[in-house]
Amino acid sequence: MSIAVGDVIPAWTMESVSAEKMKTMAAILRDPNPVHWDQQAVADLPLGLGHRTINQGPLGLSYIFNMLHTWQSPGCVKRIHMTFPQVVLDGDRVTSKGIITAIGDDGIECEVWLERAGERLLEGTALVGH
Amino acid sequence: MSKPAPPEQEITALVGHKFPTGNYTIAHWENFLLTDCTGSPALPDGQAHPVALFHVPFLGTGTTIADLFALGQAESDLSILIESYDWEFHQPLREQTEYTISGEISEADRRHNASGQLYDRIQFRFDMKCENQLAASSTITWHFTRNTL
Repeated sequence: MSIAVGDVIPAWTMESVSAEKMKTMAAILRDPNPVHWDQQAVADLPLGLGHRTINQGPLGLSYIFNMLHTWQSPGCVKRIHMTFPQVVLDGDRVTSKGIITAIGDDGIECEVWLERAGERLLEGTALVGH
Repeated sequence: MSKPAPPEQEITALVGHKFPTGNYTIAHWENFLLTDCTGSPALPDGQAHPVALFHVPFLGTGTTIADLFALGQAESDLSILIESYDWEFHQPLREQTEYTISGEISEADRRHNASGQLYDRIQFRFDMKCENQLAASSTITWHFTRNTL
């Protein structure tokens, strides 16, 4: 497969972020934060988010991994740096996107992000093996 | 009513805090459920979903998210914000493979955000080894916000 700087990575979409998956994830992570499983706890916050639970940060990050795995192969990610400027909520339709920024001996450097209706919710960089 | 912010010295003194080194093996059921939550099909060759690098280091060092919140004297479970995750993989994580995991607090200091609100920035670093070879490293940086709820 020929690749070049500036190439766009095929997008990966989660059609509807699931509150039920967040509950399972909370149990796996032993995460006590009620914003991931108690809609009322979120509604009580002064954030105006309504009765919608907030996706765990790692779960949002997993959508980026899924995009990179689909593009290259499982196990391809060598390094990832991610920031979390906005929250992901249950019911959101979110899409992982990315673009190649450099190609070197270590691998393919990419800018990657997760967006909802054009708004970036997570953003960072990844080094992918080739 | 908000809890008062802890003395700054108690935060900066966290640097160098070491978590007990321990072992952890990702079970098939755990990886199955985790991978399902991500929306991915099962990965080939017994690979664990790489997002396991978030929680497996906690379990291997006998700590929990709640313990980390307590170390930073979190105002509440709702007061933590993520600055970033930095993860490195030297090999794919796998099910049914024993990892030896060590961890420490690598940075801790007090800061103010652009609005002048106080927070404590604490960074946790974990290394996972397999047969004495570094398999993966996780550096997570959280902001412990103060007097904001």
